[in-house]
Amino acid sequence: MAAGQLFDGEPVIEFSSDRDRRTFLKWAGIIGVGSTLTVLLRSGYVAAQTEDDDIDILNYVLTLEYLEADFYERGLGADRLSGRDLALVEPIGAHERAHVSLITSTVEKLGGTPVEQPSFNYPSGTFGSRDKFLQAAYTFEALGVTAYHGQVTNFQNGELLAAAATIAGTESRHAAILADLTGQNPFPRPLEKQASRNQVLQTAGKFIRG
Amino acid sequence: MDRRSFVKGTLVAVPGAVVLQSAPAWAQSPGYGSDIDILNYALVAEYFLSEFYRRGKVQMSGKGARYIQSIGDDEDGHIAAITQTIQNLGGSPVQAPGLDYGKALTSQSTFLEFALRFENLFARAYLGAAPAIQNKEILQAAAGIYGVEERHAAIVAQLLGREPEGGVYVGAVNEPTDKATVLKAIEPYLKGAKAATSGAAVTL
Repeated sequence: MAAGQLFDGEPVIEFSSDRDRRTFLKWAGIIGVGSTLTVLLRSGYVAAQTEDDDIDILNYVLTLEYLEADFYERGLGADRLSGRDLALVEPIGAHERAHVSLITSTVEKLGGTPVEQPSFNYPSGTFGSRDKFLQAAYTFEALGVTAYHGQVTNFQNGELLAAAATIAGTESRHAAILADLTGQNPFPRPLEKQASRNQVLQTAGKFIRG
Repeated sequence: MDRRSFVKGTLVAVPGAVVLQSAPAWAQSPGYGSDIDILNYALVAEYFLSEFYRRGKVQMSGKGARYIQSIGDDEDGHIAAITQTIQNLGGSPVQAPGLDYGKALTSQSTFLEFALRFENLFARAYLGAAPAIQNKEILQAAAGIYGVEERHAAIVAQLLGREPEGGVYVGAVNEPTDKATVLKAIEPYLKGAKAATSGAAVTL
């Protein structure tokens, strides 16, 4: 299930500054907002793939990690899980927060400026039940896995590449467990799928409040 | 086991005439050799797991049996992909080693514990080798396989009812393992000298 179906096209990402929002959109090579972005993506517009620098890639995945960390914080706060479900999902939230810290400090070490945390808005009902929360979580994890695999080979720095790979592997574990908890197949393919920034934005970008 | 029986298709579209560019500055991890050497190293690990699941899946039933069947199918897919890629690069894939898993196949719990141990180990083996891979398409494919091994490990741990952190998960990031450690771990289960002599690429 695509996040678009889950959230019914409502915006869930609200950037704290116009600069961060523009940066996020630039990743697709498109400066634009809302319907313009969506239309461009849907019409098959493919932005020229530039040689993005590592900091740029890190800021892109940082935004996705912010989204995941925030999602679990609110979802766990809604108190819909118990027992083994809760025990398995709580560490996922902790991992996403750790990924945010790791990527933020890495960007700083490289002399870059980490994007600030956007604010996210979820439609009512997103955390309304165990099943809705876990299904949405599965969608985010599946998106995160493909997003990382779309970037792994773009890193110039080998250490960053290895760090990105291991974060991707953690997201793979999350995706597998959430598939198990939601009665889906934890092993959809023998190799993880990859998604370009454009493809990820096609899902996540619909929810950007301009 | 006939290696060629695994070669059912190509999962990795590596052109026949891949031109290996000069190694990027970061591709200097020692001990891994060429990309073909790394692929053969990965191939041994995949053979090791594939055969293990083939022999041990009888221990499972219900959902666990379906999961283990899928996991075994993934490993076969990895073997096919890696074998084909080595051939496309003009290399010689190592032959499947003779294997004896000892007591690991005697019960469901010994089977799953062994599977978990080696899924975790081989996931870390891929992480260790990744920075040494020079060809970006191979790196992409290896990362894709690595992620699936992490899935396997998580689900096997879940089947075992292991604790979430430190069992199902291994923290927010995983650690790489070097080649010597990996080969030492599988050595006790190799039968005969076949694997050792099958190619200089994988030195046991």
